[in-house]
Amino acid sequence: MRGVLGAFRELDAAVSAIEALKQKNVGAIRVFTPTPRHELEEAITAPPSPVRRFTLIGGLLGVTFGYWIAIWTSDFWPLVVGGKPIASWVPYTIFGFEVMVLIGGLSTVVGLLINARVPRLTMMVGYDPRFSHGDYGVWVECPPELARTAEDLLRKHGAVEVRRER
Amino acid sequence: MATLTRPAPARDEPRRPNLATAGVQLPAVKDYEQVDREIIRTLQPALGWFLGLGVAVFFLLLGISAWMYQIYSGLGVAGYNPPVMWGVYIITFVFWIGIGHAGTLISAILYLFRAGFRTTIYRCAEAMTVFAVMTAALFPILHLGRPWKFFWLIPYPNWRYIWPQFKSPLVWDVFAILTYFTISSTFLFIGLIPDIAVLRDREGISPIRRRIFSVLSLGWRNTDNEWRHFARAYLFLAAFSTPLVLSVHSVVSFDFAMALTPGWHTTIFPPYFVAGAIFSGMGMVFTIIIPLRKFFGLKHYVTINHLDAAAKLALFTSLVVGCAYMSEWFVAWFSGNEAEQSFFANRIWGQWWWASAILYTCNMVLPLSLFVQRLRRNAAWLFIISFTINIGMWFERFVIVVPSLSHEFEPWQWTSYRPTWVDYSILAGSFGWFAMWFMLFIKQLPVIAIAEVKEIVPPRLRTQHPHGIDPAGRHFEFEPDTPGEYA
Repeated sequence: MRGVLGAFRELDAAVSAIEALKQKNVGAIRVFTPTPRHELEEAITAPPSPVRRFTLIGGLLGVTFGYWIAIWTSDFWPLVVGGKPIASWVPYTIFGFEVMVLIGGLSTVVGLLINARVPRLTMMVGYDPRFSHGDYGVWVECPPELARTAEDLLRKHGAVEVRRER
Repeated sequence: MATLTRPAPARDEPRRPNLATAGVQLPAVKDYEQVDREIIRTLQPALGWFLGLGVAVFFLLLGISAWMYQIYSGLGVAGYNPPVMWGVYIITFVFWIGIGHAGTLISAILYLFRAGFRTTIYRCAEAMTVFAVMTAALFPILHLGRPWKFFWLIPYPNWRYIWPQFKSPLVWDVFAILTYFTISSTFLFIGLIPDIAVLRDREGISPIRRRIFSVLSLGWRNTDNEWRHFARAYLFLAAFSTPLVLSVHSVVSFDFAMALTPGWHTTIFPPYFVAGAIFSGMGMVFTIIIPLRKFFGLKHYVTINHLDAAAKLALFTSLVVGCAYMSEWFVAWFSGNEAEQSFFANRIWGQWWWASAILYTCNMVLPLSLFVQRLRRNAAWLFIISFTINIGMWFERFVIVVPSLSHEFEPWQWTSYRPTWVDYSILAGSFGWFAMWFMLFIKQLPVIAIAEVKEIVPPRLRTQHPHGIDPAGRHFEFEPDTPGEYA
């Protein structure tokens, strides 16, 4: 993976650099930011996160399992108490709900880990510890012939440091 | 210095609206570097912290010793006297489960409502939830004659072909509490990941700690892709946690409401328990956060405005709980049921009048002081009120559990209940257990969410921001010299 990294002290400088890089179509852009900012989100225009699908599928599986385990065990050892049904949906809704939340919540976390590509065991190209403190980083993945253009654009829009990485 | 300002506004200080909205700002916090510096500073070891940890461990050892004695001698040493077979352990179980609820309310429900004042207090409240549920989960086990058989409550394939009775409220409890603990701790950990990455990336950290933080942060690199999925996952976890808060204490209330015991068999219990749980949790949040903001010098993060907004929430839940108490009286009177009426008379004017008096004074009367803005904005008063709320809510559960069992339908069953030193030691041990985990937490991980605070601190800009932020990152609709504590 080859590219150019620009470090910015100011948010609006990073935003204008991203917009310029997109306009010139230099390459794929990745932004490092110490906190999520709407300005960066709008500049990048990423599609909606698919984490919601994990949540939905996990929730549906959870509610099914919650009802199933309660109904199956009741039928496995049928014991009539007070003339009430063997499998009673009213109390079993508690299990359906709780297991829905449990599996749905854990599936959401799995969705986060898969989509965000974490846990990550190796260093990410272009990452600098200052991006978790206060600075913004703009990483452009581009071939060597476009690296000069990317460097010029990053400097022009206020990058305090520009370097090539691979 | 924001941290040296007086604890209450001067009489002539103008009252500003303190709307608990997403528009909450921290004028005394200027930039991201300051956030990192001041919050990470709280992780430095201090003598007071070691003393606090020592006290917590002492009480924990006291509780463990009492439990060992109880296992050796049998449950009889715990002051049970038939038919009062539920006492301090079940009271304290419900108390600790309730404490946890405010944490989830602050971290999840207020997140969905975009209540900005939660930002600086939610990490503490979330940690409080996890440790409170860990504490509560001990009590059903402590209450077992053979505690090593506790896993029989969990449905798993076994050679006996025996499964739990899924129509039993005690099995509902197992599912509700395990789910609550799992989701709460997951929610806490997910929120911590970006902050652990900040700890990993700071200068001067030892290689071993850096390695530990690297593993715990899962290699988090603050990319836009990570944040995008993080925000969505956090939202859905909050959305799941919100009904979970309501369900868990409703399920706990079913332990009582499903029985035909006077004072228990009532449909008002689920909302009554949920409101009480949030109320007690707010009390514990104040008990924890007010000393923390003072000793860690974080008054300009957890501002008086934030405490004021949280106090309004405590006041509201106090009114809901008060309304539930009055509904109970009314239902007992209006039902025409003699057993119910006799039980309530005994609870309020008879044998247990003193416990009811403590309960109503602490939960209904004293919180009314929070209608006064000056008291809501007085941290010392809030700290005092938080203690009375904690005491009042423990006695609420006492009044629910003990008077009902000691005054059932048959007069020959009427009896009394007196906890023993074993009960008191285990109660003190539970506070030691909770405090020990909390003390360990506050010195290893940030008590204020670094990444979320940065969201409300204006970013550094080259040019003037159209929404009133100057290039130095200061909101100029506020007076520049306003002490942060009164923001």
